[in-house]
Amino acid sequence: MTSAPKPSIDILIRKLESIAPLSDEERRAIEGLSIMIRPLKPDQDIVRDYDRPSQCCLMLEGWACRYKLLSQGKRQIFSFHVPGDIPDLQSLHLNVMDHSLCTLTPATVAFIPHHGLHELTARFPRIAAAFWRDTLVDAAIFREWMVGMGRRSAEEAIAHLFCEMYLKLQAVGLAQNHIYRLPITQSDVADALGLTNVHVNRVLKELRTKGLITLMGGTLQVHDWTELTKLCDFDPTYLHLEQQRAA
Amino acid sequence: MSLHLQPVQVATGSDDTESQLVFADGFLVAVLVHLSDDHGDEAGMWFLEAGFGRVDEITPPKFADLEEAQAWITRRLHDNGVGRQPAPG
Repeated sequence: MTSAPKPSIDILIRKLESIAPLSDEERRAIEGLSIMIRPLKPDQDIVRDYDRPSQCCLMLEGWACRYKLLSQGKRQIFSFHVPGDIPDLQSLHLNVMDHSLCTLTPATVAFIPHHGLHELTARFPRIAAAFWRDTLVDAAIFREWMVGMGRRSAEEAIAHLFCEMYLKLQAVGLAQNHIYRLPITQSDVADALGLTNVHVNRVLKELRTKGLITLMGGTLQVHDWTELTKLCDFDPTYLHLEQQRAA
Repeated sequence: MSLHLQPVQVATGSDDTESQLVFADGFLVAVLVHLSDDHGDEAGMWFLEAGFGRVDEITPPKFADLEEAQAWITRRLHDNGVGRQPAPG
C-alpha cells in the first residue's frame, strides 16, 4: 500500500500538527497514504445525506461546508471547511451520512480510502489520537456555534466567525497579518449563523464603519484584531491549537 | 380581515429606514422595511423586519413590492395553523 510521498497531503500533516505533535515516522506514514486527487466545481456535493462512503475527503484547496436542506429550500450550514480539514472523517466510524458536504468554491480534494485510514490508525495510535483530537475540536467548534446562534447578536456572531476562520487558516499557513481569503457569500454566512443576508449585509457595513474590517473581492482584512475579539468575546481556547498550548 | 399600512421610520442601525407598520383589524402584525441601495440586487425590496404571531418567520422573506408582502401576510394570517400552533401550556 506504499506509494511515493505526495506533497499535496502535507496540508493534512500541517493540520494535524496544529493540534497534536507528530514524529518523523508518523509524518512519513501519512505521506504514504494512497489518495486520489480530484478538482471540484463550486456548489458540488462531495457526499450526501444517507450516503455510505468508503472514503474520506481531505480538503487541499478551496472551501466546503457541511449542510442540511430543509423544506421550502431552507439550508442550514453546520461548519465551514478549509484546506487540511477532513470534514467527513466521521464516515470512518459512522457508516451512514447524517448530513451533506459540498464545495462552496472551486476546490481540490483528496479522497482517502477508509481502509488506508484504518490501517494507518491501527499502526500509529498517536495518529488515531490526533484524528480523535480533531473530532473533539470539531465538537468544541459546534458548541461555540450553538452559543453564537442561540445567544450572540448578529454582529457578535459574524465577528466570532471571522476570528475563528482566521485562526483556522493561520494554523495551516493560509493566513497571516490578519488578512485572509474569505471566498464565501453573504448567503453562506447567513445560512451558517441562522441570519438573513439582509442582516449580514448590515453588520458587514457596520463592522466596516467601525474600522474593524474591510471585506473586498473575497479578501477579509482585520484592521483591529483586539477590538474585533473584544466585540464578540472571542476566546480561542476551544480551538485547542498547539501554538496556544505552547504559549 | 383587512390590512392597513402606516409609514414609519425604523431605526435598523443601517440605511434601511423607510418602513411600513402592517395592521390587521387594528392589530400590529408586521414591520416591513424598504431595503436601501446598500443591498445591491435586492435594493428596493421589502423585508419582513419583524412579524408577530402567525406572521413570525425564522427566515424572514423579502418581497418585490408591498402588494406581494400583503398577500403573503394575508396567507399567513389565514393559515389554519397546522404545524404552527403554539406549544401547549
